[in-house]
Amino acid sequence: MKIDMIIVGVIAALSGLFALYSTFGIAGAIAGLAVIGIYALLLQVKLQKLEEKTFFQNIRFKVPIILVLAGILWVLAGKFNFPVWWQIEFVAFALVGFFFFTLLDWKTLKLEKSNFDWTIRILATYALASTIFIVVTAQLPQFDPEFELSKLNRPPVKLEGLAGPEVIAAGREVFENNKCFNCHKVFWEGNSDRGPNLGSKQIGLYPAAYIKDQILSPRRNQSPGFDDPKSKKAMPTYYGEDLSEDELIALVSYLKTMRDPTRMPIEGKFGQQWTWWDDKDIIAEGQQVFEGLHPQAEGLNCAVCHGKDGIPMMTGALDFRNADNTDTTKIEGDHTDKLLKDWPDALWYRRVTRGVPNTPMAPWGTIFPHLYLWKAEAYARTFHDPLEKRTAKRPVPAVPTKEEIEKWQTDGMFMDPLL
Amino acid sequence: MLKQPRSLLQNAFAKTLFGLIFVYLLGHLAPHLTASSSSIVSNLNFQTLAYAAEDDEEEEYEEEEEDDEDGEEESAEEEDLSYLTDIGPAAEHEFAEFSFLGFSNRKFTWFAAQLHILFASFILGCPMFVVIMEVMGARRTQGVRKAIILSNVFLAILIGVVIGITGEVIVGIHHGVLYGLWACAFGALIVSFLNYFHRLMNIRASALIGAAFGTLISAGLTPVEHYEVSGIMLAVINGAVGGLISNGIMFARSDFKFERLAHEITKVIGICYSFTALTGGLFLFVMLVAYKDFITYLIASFPTLFMVAYPTLFILETVVMYIYVYSWDPLNKANKKGRHIVTGIILNVLGLTLLVALDGPATFMQTPTKPLADLLTISEWDKISNMAWMPLNYHRLVGNGTFGGYMVCIIGAYMYLWSNKNEEREYYDWVGYIGNIIGVAIMIPLPAMGYIFVREIYQYDATIGMYIMSDRESMFMLVQGLLVGTMFSASNIYMWVSMKRIENAQRFFPAMKFGFVLIIISAAIWFTPRRFFATMLPEPGMNPDMVLPDNLAFLALMISKNTAAFCLVTVTFINYIFYTIATKTGKVHYGKVNPLGPYVLIFLGFSDIWLMSWMGTIRELSRMNWHIYKVFKDVTPEKFAPTLAESGFFVTTIVWTFFILMTAIIWIGIKYPKTKATKPAQEAAPQMAE
Repeated sequence: MKIDMIIVGVIAALSGLFALYSTFGIAGAIAGLAVIGIYALLLQVKLQKLEEKTFFQNIRFKVPIILVLAGILWVLAGKFNFPVWWQIEFVAFALVGFFFFTLLDWKTLKLEKSNFDWTIRILATYALASTIFIVVTAQLPQFDPEFELSKLNRPPVKLEGLAGPEVIAAGREVFENNKCFNCHKVFWEGNSDRGPNLGSKQIGLYPAAYIKDQILSPRRNQSPGFDDPKSKKAMPTYYGEDLSEDELIALVSYLKTMRDPTRMPIEGKFGQQWTWWDDKDIIAEGQQVFEGLHPQAEGLNCAVCHGKDGIPMMTGALDFRNADNTDTTKIEGDHTDKLLKDWPDALWYRRVTRGVPNTPMAPWGTIFPHLYLWKAEAYARTFHDPLEKRTAKRPVPAVPTKEEIEKWQTDGMFMDPLL
Repeated sequence: MLKQPRSLLQNAFAKTLFGLIFVYLLGHLAPHLTASSSSIVSNLNFQTLAYAAEDDEEEEYEEEEEDDEDGEEESAEEEDLSYLTDIGPAAEHEFAEFSFLGFSNRKFTWFAAQLHILFASFILGCPMFVVIMEVMGARRTQGVRKAIILSNVFLAILIGVVIGITGEVIVGIHHGVLYGLWACAFGALIVSFLNYFHRLMNIRASALIGAAFGTLISAGLTPVEHYEVSGIMLAVINGAVGGLISNGIMFARSDFKFERLAHEITKVIGICYSFTALTGGLFLFVMLVAYKDFITYLIASFPTLFMVAYPTLFILETVVMYIYVYSWDPLNKANKKGRHIVTGIILNVLGLTLLVALDGPATFMQTPTKPLADLLTISEWDKISNMAWMPLNYHRLVGNGTFGGYMVCIIGAYMYLWSNKNEEREYYDWVGYIGNIIGVAIMIPLPAMGYIFVREIYQYDATIGMYIMSDRESMFMLVQGLLVGTMFSASNIYMWVSMKRIENAQRFFPAMKFGFVLIIISAAIWFTPRRFFATMLPEPGMNPDMVLPDNLAFLALMISKNTAAFCLVTVTFINYIFYTIATKTGKVHYGKVNPLGPYVLIFLGFSDIWLMSWMGTIRELSRMNWHIYKVFKDVTPEKFAPTLAESGFFVTTIVWTFFILMTAIIWIGIKYPKTKATKPAQEAAPQMAE
């Protein structure tokens, strides 16, 4: 019997350790070992016969311990930036622990002397359970059913007679109703990072046909960094059946607004992301654009002035090989002292899309898709900062806040008024 | 001898019942529960964080808006509002609202349906439990051993399916269910058969033979192109389990306590059967009044099922059930125990078939067979065998088993409290222990069944899954986590309390206390949500900052939840091992459990029934504003999801109703015959050997 138990215990412990190791790595396995060790130690403790404690004896050490523990949990949770409700949750669980351990050490209940005793106790048991469940369900965050009702009573999306902003708003509604936010964030807004953040990725840079195809046939082009089997299967394939043509148009219109004039597009899963500055595929494509070879950006040829190998072909053209080059002084009220190597993304984007007045540097953003302009910039940087010599990737910038995004619009940073 | 009750008020049962009804009415008759729980009353004065603070302002605005709306009505007359009703058969819908004591159409339906399901679960879950108990209590006569071959195969099928599906979900074994089912069943069959005439093999040999034979047969019967090691391993394990349980049961020393337990529960099942039929009728009538178009459409979609299969199965099950209940003593006396066990297995097979058949329309409402354009032309079978059908079958099978275990806990606890004699108390103390062990043991694979059910729903239409996990039902799921944690905790507290009546068991107490620390930590992690607002995106009045920062979000992901669940299960399992060792090495003083024990069992049972009702609520609400998802739209005024507060209160109302009825049923079925008897009750006597 004992041997059987030991064998079962060892197998269970090893399985548990393996599971913890596979999930959390070495730290998980160490935590598992620690738990097993504590169990083994505690089983060696020779406990004397249990003595009944009075209520005061029962709680006299538990109360100060739990108060200290609750305080520590509150402070620690605050230090780790848990919002206040999580702090409350952790402290609440500490109190649950207090209740548990008080109950465990509670002295043996007196036997019921009459039917009245157990009737009261049964009712108290039901009342306790009911109170817990009713209070918990009443105190957790609620939603307003009227809000859902108003959404359900809204007519389906019909684009006839709608203007641009209304179409975009309708698209946002389609995005919400189909719970796209569950997997896709849009900049700061959204639920999880299961799929790409469509704001940081700047899905709006891509052509409408491509975006539509991504919705209808999501398996065709997997977003970089989401190549694992789970991610490949994550995006549902039924939107073609579910969405009407009007809804699809509205949705694509909304997605087309997802652009960022201040940051290079970002790829990859949260925690393993990179910017286009360090994306070799993007840089290779950017080279094609830069050299006037990209079929989708026909007519755009940066090398004509800046030189195929970075040696400027025209006087005044920026020499990308010189990391210490300075910004142009030809634009009144728009100049930075920062050296080329330190230029913010926003400056790169602004100079290329808006150009430099009275020079051959035209406002290319009014002529060519911005998608290719960003790519060309990623390549241009390699002249003074070659990809193969980089020791670290450029840091992925923080996701813009709601206020920041609103500022892009008020400051007119987009060339398209609908953005 | 027990004292006779002298008057109604001195009668313990009457007092309990009056008390329960009194508290129930106090709670339930909180006046005017509205459909929307934005009112303070429906939140029971526990106002909530999300939008509560703005209520006063909103009410003022609402009044103004009402005036505006009146003015707008005329201009809106010509507006095309057909989109509200133009979905499929709902086009001509004329809806009538009924209201009574705060009950609306939806709440009447909700109440009747949930009550029906609870009773149905009892009469489906408990017979599984009863047959196994009956086998354990029967003397191993020739006839009984024949019946045990059948009962072993039946039990092995259930266990094989559960292990198989768990392997399929956790390890990803292709056709895990089939491997599990065939291997366990045939492993059990061969070992039972070989051991029928003589004790041919010991326990280890049984495992070996079961594994070898079960694996061979399952490998032949499972349709796979290539054999995979994982599948074969699963078959080996299942075959061995089948062999082990067969040997164990075949040669178990018959204990009359099991026979008595089975018999007593059967008496309760008989009464519950009537309540199942009553509440089923009530449910249908309510549907015919509240949602007549929809229920007509649903029944018409399954003509063979509702006109032929369901009534036939129902009548057959009724007949077999009454034969089973009323033939208990006669067959015992006639020394035909084996036949009675076989009747019990037939009853179970019929019950499970009925469950599986009715899961067809239930899941059809959630995942109607695609493509939806073909719904009018596909066969009835195609409609039944929709994507969520088998997962719900597995889920309900295991859920009903758990339910049965916890109902036994409650019966044991009640009877313990209602018993005056020491022998009775010893016996019902033991009943509570058995109920708890079975309830917890079957509950362990339940999360895997729930997982596979939701996984299928996600694959069918991720929108439903997201509505459950991340949108309006996310807080409902949080409550589910809390309930599961509560149940594991209560179960472990019961083990702790009952170990105090075992000699020398205190040597395990320090380790068990450490286990409780782990339980609390695990429960806290399980409970931790990604955000503390109740929808996918914050709606007006909600606090958008109540979101875990990205670097802490892992605490709310499945990786952490699974670890917490694993920890809860492991600690419970370890405590069970401690308990088992303690019972083997120390004397158990049955009947002297700390009086806290029975109340913990009642709490546990209440939590289980509450959780079951809660999960039913989640499943029904997950169809959003559809009676049949994307086929038959709900165009009634109550098409929205009720709030958490309102749902919590209403579910509590339903569970109270169920418990009041069950208290009465347990009294009438078990206690009352004892109090009436003038001499010691003539319990079913163990039958003579053939």
